[in-house]
Amino acid sequence: MNYIVKDLMVPISDYATISEGSTFLEALLALETPEVDLKNSIHPHWIVLVLNSDEKVVGKLSQINMLRALEPRTEDVKNIDKLGKFGFGSNFITQLREELRLDDTSIENVYTSSTTLQMKVEDFMKKLADNDFIDENTSLATAAHQMSVRKRLSMLVTRDDEVVGVLRLSDVFTAVINAMKSKT
Amino acid sequence: MKEIQKLYDRIIQRANINLRELEFDVNPYVQNVIPFEQMIKFYAFFGISPHHRLNFQFKNSNLAGSYFLGQCRITNSLLYKSDIRGDELKRAGDLFEYQGFEIPVSRDEEIEITDSLLIKTLVHNFSHDPETLEEFFIKDTISMNYANIHGAPSDGCFLGSFATVDLTTMRDSVIGNFAYVQAGEISHLDIAPGTVWVRVPGEFNFIYTHPQEELNHYIYFKAGIAPQGQLIDFVEDRKEAFQRVFDVVNIEQSIPVPSSASLDRYAVSKSPIHIGENVLVSQRAFLQNAWLGKGANAQENCYIINSRLEGCNVTAHGAKIIEADMGTNVFVGFNSFLKGGPDSRLTIGKDSIVMPHTIIDIKEPLEIPAGSLVWGMIKSAKDLKNHSISIEKFSKINGGLSMGNMFFEGDGASFIAGFQDRIHHILEANGAFFNGSDKKGHAQKNQYISFNTLQPYPEGPRKGLYPTIVIKP
Repeated sequence: MNYIVKDLMVPISDYATISEGSTFLEALLALETPEVDLKNSIHPHWIVLVLNSDEKVVGKLSQINMLRALEPRTEDVKNIDKLGKFGFGSNFITQLREELRLDDTSIENVYTSSTTLQMKVEDFMKKLADNDFIDENTSLATAAHQMSVRKRLSMLVTRDDEVVGVLRLSDVFTAVINAMKSKT
Repeated sequence: MKEIQKLYDRIIQRANINLRELEFDVNPYVQNVIPFEQMIKFYAFFGISPHHRLNFQFKNSNLAGSYFLGQCRITNSLLYKSDIRGDELKRAGDLFEYQGFEIPVSRDEEIEITDSLLIKTLVHNFSHDPETLEEFFIKDTISMNYANIHGAPSDGCFLGSFATVDLTTMRDSVIGNFAYVQAGEISHLDIAPGTVWVRVPGEFNFIYTHPQEELNHYIYFKAGIAPQGQLIDFVEDRKEAFQRVFDVVNIEQSIPVPSSASLDRYAVSKSPIHIGENVLVSQRAFLQNAWLGKGANAQENCYIINSRLEGCNVTAHGAKIIEADMGTNVFVGFNSFLKGGPDSRLTIGKDSIVMPHTIIDIKEPLEIPAGSLVWGMIKSAKDLKNHSISIEKFSKINGGLSMGNMFFEGDGASFIAGFQDRIHHILEANGAFFNGSDKKGHAQKNQYISFNTLQPYPEGPRKGLYPTIVIKP
């Protein structure tokens, strides 16, 4: 079968959404219990779409976005993080972060602080760029290529200017494998 | 003034194109810092001596108050009260050592400044870039008050006030105020103000960042605001003393200077002054109640006030030493600001290394032990503990060390050896080891310099620009 994107995508209605202005805690709860579309796929999906007041998709939230949002932002941490730009080794930087974590218990508290839990989704969501979208009539081969070169785990599927679904790497990969199997 | 305005616009545009990736606009930083009227007020001057090459080419440029020595070519540039010192450039036939190779220099090196705006900037040393051995180029670059471009070819960069780039080729980068970079080669980097970074890839990496708020008291400069702060005030308060030195053609020197030493006629010296054997005092240095022992030096834009330097002291470009006693062989790096007081003297023991861009500003007496490595911002004995370490201990580092805002990775011994070798080379180049016949350096060679002046068009569309001038032996 010659798959195109709309054959593989998960309809947007199957996805959890959250509005701009929602807090970290609300995002966390939404992500913790994602809608699972098991009718069309064996893979659960692990992103939450962020909608603006016009119900347009403006961002997406994944586990990695949440973890990044939890990174401590103290001056000491910022100073250590800057070292990579100046050619310091990653092992040295990791060691410094560990030492800092042991010295500074406030880093542990960042997970439960009210400041963290009240952060707004727009501060840590992945904002969408042009290369986050793919047309629903794109072929499987092109979709696989785009996800590969753009290093995407998912892309938003469009029909004209409207987002109608989510194309996930797992579904593209499964389709590619099936296509290969059918030829051998 | 029409042409000078066009030239200014062209330089700004070229720098901005180079810095577009960093989204850095130089215009608000430089606009109105130097009014064009100032640029016609001062003559340019150059040195002639039997010990220095003579090859100057000036074209479509303003050179107000700037000094030239050696071999340099200035094209389409605005140089305001800058020092372009071409007395350490490589010569044809020299061998340049790089990573175990000896690369022959094919022709005499020259400093080539093109499409650049340098304000009160020092350019010195030679290109350490093995790819451009014969050209120490500075192009599409803007540098602000008291910046140092030292052995550092530059293409498309902006240097903030009191910034130093040392032995590093830089491209399309912004060097913040009071930042010091010695890293071999950098590209497309935006270095924050007050960063002190010394790196030899594969050997060591040292970085310190001054606390921003405290640094702002010393130097503060951002878009739309002229440079200000304690460092600027300090220099401005002593500006008048230099005015006389530059206004008078034949200046009488009343301070006894040994035949092996050199006190530049464009330096300010206020008695009592002691100049020992083999001492070098460069132009734009400021001495007041200063005692300089054998082989000590005070380079351009240095200030030594109510202080004693025991001997073989390197006081690098722009360093300031006030109310302090320095043991022998103490090195004070670029633009460091060491300020004691009449009742709170600063004492630094022999063989110590004060890292470039260090600030020591104390209200209580402070004694730094001999053989110390010192960096950062120190205002008390408590600060000293977190911003110094014995050279012996540092040399034993093999891995990493962090102390406050200072991070070091690599081989401590290699870092210290690099500094010590360099200090020795500087002393040698400055003539500190002159024995009466051999080992001559700047202290001995600079005694015989005579100075000539150059003037711009006084009126008309080319007002402020200097005519095309070629000066050769």
